[in-house]
Amino acid sequence: MPRKSYAQAMLDAILAAFESDPTTRVIGPSFAQGRGAPETQEAFFKTYGARIMQPPISEGVTAALGAGAAMAGLRPFVNFGTSTFAFEAWNQIVNEAANAHFMSGGQVTVPVIYHMFAGIRGGGGVQHSQSPQSMYANCPGLKLVLPASPADIQGLIATAFRSPDPTVIINHTKLMGLEGDVPEGDVAIPFGQAEVKREGADVTLVATSLMVQRALDAADQLAGDGVKAEVVDPRTIVPLDRETIIASAAKTGRLVVVDEAAATCSIAAEIIASVAEAGVALTAPPVRVTRPDTPVGFSPALERAAEPNVEGIAGAIRRVMG
Amino acid sequence: MTEALTGEDRVALFARMLLMRRFEEMIIHVAQDNTDIGRNHLYIGHEATGAAVAQVLQPGDLAHTTHRNHGHLIARGADPGKALAEIMGRAGGLNQGRGGTWHLTDREAGFRSTSAMVGGSIGLSIGSGYALRELGTDNVAVAFFGDGVLDEGISYEALNFASQYDLPVLFVCENNEREGAHETSRLAASRLTDVPRALGIEVATVDGHDADAVAARTAELLVTVRGGRPVFLESQLERWPGSHQVKPEFVTGVTDLSHAWDPAAISGEHAGWIRDFDPILRFARTLLDDGTASREEIAAIDARTIETMAAARAFAEASPYPDPEAAAHDVFAERSAADA
Repeated sequence: MPRKSYAQAMLDAILAAFESDPTTRVIGPSFAQGRGAPETQEAFFKTYGARIMQPPISEGVTAALGAGAAMAGLRPFVNFGTSTFAFEAWNQIVNEAANAHFMSGGQVTVPVIYHMFAGIRGGGGVQHSQSPQSMYANCPGLKLVLPASPADIQGLIATAFRSPDPTVIINHTKLMGLEGDVPEGDVAIPFGQAEVKREGADVTLVATSLMVQRALDAADQLAGDGVKAEVVDPRTIVPLDRETIIASAAKTGRLVVVDEAAATCSIAAEIIASVAEAGVALTAPPVRVTRPDTPVGFSPALERAAEPNVEGIAGAIRRVMG
Repeated sequence: MTEALTGEDRVALFARMLLMRRFEEMIIHVAQDNTDIGRNHLYIGHEATGAAVAQVLQPGDLAHTTHRNHGHLIARGADPGKALAEIMGRAGGLNQGRGGTWHLTDREAGFRSTSAMVGGSIGLSIGSGYALRELGTDNVAVAFFGDGVLDEGISYEALNFASQYDLPVLFVCENNEREGAHETSRLAASRLTDVPRALGIEVATVDGHDADAVAARTAELLVTVRGGRPVFLESQLERWPGSHQVKPEFVTGVTDLSHAWDPAAISGEHAGWIRDFDPILRFARTLLDDGTASREEIAAIDARTIETMAAARAFAEASPYPDPEAAAHDVFAERSAADA
């Protein structure tokens, strides 16, 4: 299996879609944010420049363009860069793109991809350190994808380009340099299929995006103490593979959920609620590891205080292990 | 230069306008009889604009409209029975009862999504224009919207974008100036068209009650749009006095076409609007005066239109309400095992 960076895998997936489908377009091409794979990006521009548009700094109409063009027969990959800029386009994403299929009585499909970089990236300050995944998860009609590895980003982008539905892809900026094995050939990963990224019998760690890597590190650390942690990555939040999550929690009897968004009404809360509603009898109360319900301050010291980290996850595991 | 409409085209245009008017009158009747048919933003008074634009569009042109959409859909051939059924929330409606008056959508008639957000249509039209160009068609996108849309930030973004990228979009601003006692737009520019003009977009202003003028001007402008430049058309309209934020009121009564040739018979509080601004009566008068149609022909068109509406109402009233289970259908076009 070839080894490549997350950024490279992302570009390869976009390239593959461009090669196979002439209706694909990129709107907003700074999609690697200078964080890797410059040669591929240059080749992509050279080959497909006519299908790449650099919009003005107008997120509202850029998102509307994506929705309208998708309704009219294109497959736009709209890239906002930092996710918080997409707040300028909130209505177009959650009220136009998300609702059009339903409210037209199924007459139109809206196969647009909205891609954004998110998370506590280091020095982003309050307004560019957000993790908006829970907000999108609460908007019926949007599929929500949080790829945590090079293989996942490649396979999930491949699926997004074939999906008839509007899809929000949130990439944690800190993942761009992550290296990993990526299968060759047609690597599409279906939406709604969680991956057990590490098997274990003692405790279930459900983690998303960059937090999957943090959870794997914490699992490594705890393995030295004889604790076998299972790490489950839902990969897509909408649709959510509750079955795999519930089965793992039922097997281990202990649950820790790690997501970088603020705790209240979050994906972490939803996962715990799903396990509770399924009647899984946990041997210890479940624990959320998230950022607190506060903005993220600029100072590195304040950032560190807000960011879920390996120590915090390990502490949560010890707590549920009792 | 574009070819002028033939006499036959103009009679068809009149029939289109009358269809739109009788449809909206039917909505008022239905709303009077059904307490659950609430707020509707009727198109009465705007017919000359919507019908004339529709008359000169081509099949395949895509239009996006607003909460005041009934007239646009009917003008481009949406079935009145299915449109009424939708407004009544019935399963046989255009959108299967999911959109209601706010979101009438008919793919066959060239409407992919109708937004009730102020500024919704102008944004989506950019996407339609871009796609139509990229797919190599000669078709254009049309955005219908009211003057209040220029208060929204996305209008600036959309106009700037269309101009920079030479998108084939016709912006049709139906400027009716007032919502009841309130102004519907508060613009610091002295004219609406100052805004698109500043962004390098060709602008035109037309008397929106004059069907001949709107058709001729729009046909000319569409040459530019099909050639790859956006154009902004302001249709100046006098608001129909029955239009309110709540249920529309029948303040001008059922349209009486004999008023076209017998204006002395016009009476009531709003006689001035009926006499001076009703585009249906005005166009009927023009067709009579220039010998294009006779009173009998106009009366025959009306009789056919009224029959169409009776059939539409019968269809809509016979249509059942949606199955409650359908409330969860079509959230996504593609479902996965995890959605179940």
